[in-house]
Amino acid sequence: MRRWAHRTHLAGLLLFAAAACGRGSRSAPSGGLTVTDDAGRAVVLAQPARRIVSLSPGVTELLFALGAGDRVVGRTTWCDYPPAARAVPSVGDGLNPNIEAVAARHPDLVVLYRSALNETAAAQLARLGLAAVLVQQDRLEDLARTARLLGRLTGADATGDSLAQVLERFASGPRPPPRARVAFVVWDNPPVVIGGGSYLDQLAALAGAANVFHDIGSASAQVGLETIVTRDPDVVVVLRDSAGPPPEPPGFTRRPEWRAVRAVRQRRFVYLTGSLFGRPSPRAPQAVAEFRRRLEEATR
Amino acid sequence: MRWLGLGIVVAVAFALAVVLGPAHVPLAELLTSDVVRSLRLPRALLAFLVGGSLALAGTGLQALVRNPLADPSLLGLSGGAGLGAVVAIALHLANPWALPLAAFAGALGAMALVYRLGLVGGAELDPRVLILAGVAVGAFTAAVTTAVVSLSDAAELRNAFLWLWGGLSGASWDSVWLLCVYAPLPIAVLLAAARPLDLLALGEEPARHLGADVESVKRRVYVAASLLTAAAVAVSGVIGFVGLVVPHAMRLLWGHRHRPLLPAAFLGGGALLAFSDTVARVAVAPRELPVGIVTALIGVPVFVLLLRRWTAS
Amino acid sequence: MDRELILDVRGVSCRYPGASGDALTGVSLAARAGEVHAVLGPNGSGKTTLVRVALGLVAPVAGSAAILGRPASDWSRRDLARVVGVVTQREDNLFPQRVRETVLLGRYPYLSMWGRERAEDHAAVERALARCDVSFLANRWIWTLSGGEYQRVRLARALAQEPKLLVLDEPTASLDVRHEMQLFELVRVLADRDGLAVVLITHHVNLAARFADRVLLLAEGRPAGDGPPADVLTRETVERVFAWPVSIASFEGRPQMVPLRKREDLP
Repeated sequence: MRRWAHRTHLAGLLLFAAAACGRGSRSAPSGGLTVTDDAGRAVVLAQPARRIVSLSPGVTELLFALGAGDRVVGRTTWCDYPPAARAVPSVGDGLNPNIEAVAARHPDLVVLYRSALNETAAAQLARLGLAAVLVQQDRLEDLARTARLLGRLTGADATGDSLAQVLERFASGPRPPPRARVAFVVWDNPPVVIGGGSYLDQLAALAGAANVFHDIGSASAQVGLETIVTRDPDVVVVLRDSAGPPPEPPGFTRRPEWRAVRAVRQRRFVYLTGSLFGRPSPRAPQAVAEFRRRLEEATR
Repeated sequence: MRWLGLGIVVAVAFALAVVLGPAHVPLAELLTSDVVRSLRLPRALLAFLVGGSLALAGTGLQALVRNPLADPSLLGLSGGAGLGAVVAIALHLANPWALPLAAFAGALGAMALVYRLGLVGGAELDPRVLILAGVAVGAFTAAVTTAVVSLSDAAELRNAFLWLWGGLSGASWDSVWLLCVYAPLPIAVLLAAARPLDLLALGEEPARHLGADVESVKRRVYVAASLLTAAAVAVSGVIGFVGLVVPHAMRLLWGHRHRPLLPAAFLGGGALLAFSDTVARVAVAPRELPVGIVTALIGVPVFVLLLRRWTAS
Repeated sequence: MDRELILDVRGVSCRYPGASGDALTGVSLAARAGEVHAVLGPNGSGKTTLVRVALGLVAPVAGSAAILGRPASDWSRRDLARVVGVVTQREDNLFPQRVRETVLLGRYPYLSMWGRERAEDHAAVERALARCDVSFLANRWIWTLSGGEYQRVRLARALAQEPKLLVLDEPTASLDVRHEMQLFELVRVLADRDGLAVVLITHHVNLAARFADRVLLLAEGRPAGDGPPADVLTRETVERVFAWPVSIASFEGRPQMVPLRKREDLP
């Protein structure tokens, strides 16, 4: 008699445990959302997210653009736009997510950009019962898709869709004829340039600048200095941390070997701030306009 | 005959370094091309000087610590240089020479620290203590470097690691002249130590009885080899493998007498690095490979070939 | 006629840093040209330390050591190497060499920093090889030599230094009787025919007694006797120093030690 009750008790426990584990794969309760993130993971929310931790500056900007800024309860130290975002508590630099700090914000949704390290972090968050979504953040196209996804997750489907359409229209808009040849130099020793696989390359094309290293498929690559010399860009583009007072040319341009580059000799530089240009953001049209303006100044 | 062969190898390596490159420069325009004159030529010369210095320092160090597996990086110098470079980057030092100077200072600091740690054991520059101290300093500097990187502006420092992996991108006539002024003294000191190093191979006491001032020789070789390595690393990052393998390869051809071995190692190391740099620049053009990878990929099969020839004879 | 005094060690005492007792106390040794002076004693009696003090490698706390009239500490290593050839107990040989190459290392004190080996250096090497009867091995790799041959090669290297004094530290340890005898005979010839002073540290009491002109017997760093073998190697002295019962026989006028089976009344 007792053994039978014991077994039922055990079975009940097992059923309960199975139910708890299988929560994600069951059909959502009414009012629930199911999305598939960019890593192919199915993520379910009972209701539109109310407390969101964003571990990507681009995502933070998108959330504010979607009108969900007040729901952002955690950000990374890199999330500096819009200014209102700075009031949100930071949970670290987000490169190797601090799970504890994230969990301490009691979010119901965590958004990370897609990388191998973050896939592990997402799994850890899921184990804690926190819904985690991974989004690709490399190119303009990714922006539109993410806007839609975030729109769904915050219950602002219509806003998300319209923002996505704006971005898509912008991305597929006509490319002006290139007025200048540019090289984006990220590092000097060894020289590292931005290639055709990057977001910056897309912005350049939309701004009327031809990236001389467009033929390199990856986002960035180490190249020989003599390659930069022979490809002879009109302008060298350098990324800076902040938009401050008029910048002076970076230190490496005073090194003798860099003087072989015509643009360095002629001191034709364009400085772009990392915040606006370094990551895909809904301010892309703004960025392109600014880039175009700076290019005109530099090639006058 | 061997010297003639080595001379040809050197000439060919140098010629290839000047003629080949990601940018196509027709032979007719070679002498007038700006790319060749201001970039390729100094880079080939620098590769030669750096490779030769590393191989020479490696030979001297192997004799000093009486261990044929010694490599200049074993003495913690590369770690010190890397730390210096990373600190310079983290501090956003604007001066174009800041990075090599900081790397050099870091390497010298490591050299002094290893020397000091070696003194703790009692005998000055005891080979076993020296190696252990070098490994300890290397590990320590690596840890501090990682700490600096993880606590600072991540993006820039990721690129700092590219520098650490070694490369001759910073080559200019300035750096060539600098090395030409700086290197001859330590090189001369090492070459002059050839005979005492032969004696040292018998052991310190026999060497002493044969007339070698053992303490002085050890100190001179240690300092000269460290100075050469420090300069090489400061200019071109950590290029491993040259200092370890070139002495071995040269020994297979010249034996162990240091009088021919030291200069042969210098020439061989120079040729190897010049050739490796050419491959690094051309193999995946327009992209470039870190030269340390190429030296390893080239050096190992060559070494295996020489080894088989030797064991077969 | 008094033979030339090459090495003059007087009353040296010496202590290693951190040691509880003196390694040497009041030891004297006079090595003259043409004489073989053997240094005997149990392990740890200070034989190798004596050599180190004699050659200026270790400073004594008392007493003096002079070579050719000049204090040992005044000699530069290079100059000293032209006068004293030492065959140490142990030697590493990290790198493979041929016999001629390793003997050539003995010419180091005569070579200038950058200059090549001259004809006279090669001649000295050939002479040294001939004197040690290893000329026929000149082109062999040293790892192919037997123990006895290798020791003769090392001796040749010391002779290539053209020294006035030869110091041999346990040269026949681990050699068989034939090679031992050959070495001792060779040493005797070098002293007699070439007028070298020889200081020979050895465990082999009997061969030392046969071949040496003088014997210095050390016990715990103190001299237990210095003089002709017959005077020093008496039964009482030997039993005391080596702490073992012996009988002294005579062979060709020289004392020969015969160890006895253990007696009950000795400690």
